[in-house]
Amino acid sequence: MPTYKLTCFNVRGRAELIRLLFAAGEIPYEDVRIEWDKWPELKPISDTPMGQIPTLEVDGQVICQSMAIARFVAGKAGLLGKTNMDQARADMLLDGGMDVGKLFTEMVMEKDASKKAEKKKEFGEKHLPPFLALYEGFAGDNGHFVGDSLTWSDIGFFNMMDFITAEYPGALDGYCKLNKVIDNVKSNPGVAKWLKERPVTNH
Amino acid sequence: MPSYKLYYFHGRGRAEPARLMLAAAGLPYEDVRIEFERWPEYKPKMPMGQAPVLDVDGTMICQSVAIARFIAKESGLAGKTNMEQARADMMVDGFGDMVNKMADYVWYEPDEAKKAEKKKTFYDTTLPEFLGYFEKLLVANNGGDFFVGDGLTHADVFFLSLSDDITAEKPDVLGPYPKLAALAERIKTYPGIKEWLAKRPKTPW
Repeated sequence: MPTYKLTCFNVRGRAELIRLLFAAGEIPYEDVRIEWDKWPELKPISDTPMGQIPTLEVDGQVICQSMAIARFVAGKAGLLGKTNMDQARADMLLDGGMDVGKLFTEMVMEKDASKKAEKKKEFGEKHLPPFLALYEGFAGDNGHFVGDSLTWSDIGFFNMMDFITAEYPGALDGYCKLNKVIDNVKSNPGVAKWLKERPVTNH
Repeated sequence: MPSYKLYYFHGRGRAEPARLMLAAAGLPYEDVRIEFERWPEYKPKMPMGQAPVLDVDGTMICQSVAIARFIAKESGLAGKTNMEQARADMMVDGFGDMVNKMADYVWYEPDEAKKAEKKKTFYDTTLPEFLGYFEKLLVANNGGDFFVGDGLTHADVFFLSLSDDITAEKPDVLGPYPKLAALAERIKTYPGIKEWLAKRPKTPW
């Protein structure tokens, strides 16, 4: 069995999808967390292919780029999708989610209070509702985005909404199929265990 | 054999990696180029209201990287093991970060002065840092004939596409990175890609 070491900042951030996938696959790994202020001294001596974290070390080989890592772990956990077409569907839904997630993150990270309030209003009124309506359409009656079983696309959606509902609590009200997706993910035994045990962080 | 239709605008843009991948895979496809004025007719039919979209026997996939990776997997050019595929994906994402930085000033910055400043920062600071990483990663793969394993993957194709874009703006940008420059030249002669490059429409972007 390979050894896995995930290195990221002490946040959920770009690593949380990866951690959720390790959990769903019940795959043990070392969850190394680095404090922001330690990074400048660690960066030059860290094995980072592109100078960034998260990185995943697999039996000594290091890969970077959070989605590439997540896709790799999803594969190990059997959560990629059964056919190339299923896998492409999962990829496309995750990428679409990232497009919206990027706007959300920009809003959260905005330091100027009045600009942030403006961005929060804009995201909540202009970007979030069409995204949710679109994805309600993509979700199956069974509460899965791809085929008839859990894939990393369901988990990715759950993770993203975990962040978004912290700022927009009622966002998912009325979206039957999306709520089913969320329930399916939360009731996965590995995920449920991780959600109970994971460190609580602001981001 | 499935029938493939690729929908995009009349340019390389975000569709070119998929076109290059189809060429490398030797897969025939209909290269639908939509005039901007006609886009409103097509938009509602696209899964996320955007292009590019690949129609595979009536099933539509969107998101440019997902499309290219699908074609790569269908033709056995995505990496032979899970780890090779992850390495290819990581390279593609790294190149994508550069493409997104360019899109930022080319497409999304309306202010001319800010545009020029962002472009300068990109070429003076951001791009050199990452080209340095990419050169090192290429060399680390057995001297650097391909980014991953011992054959073409979508990583090499996405690099060619990035190289096209950056050398169009700065012809000598790969000068300090001999292995990257050599790879781009070599991939241009890959069977299928060579023919496509000779016949593809010449567009400003």
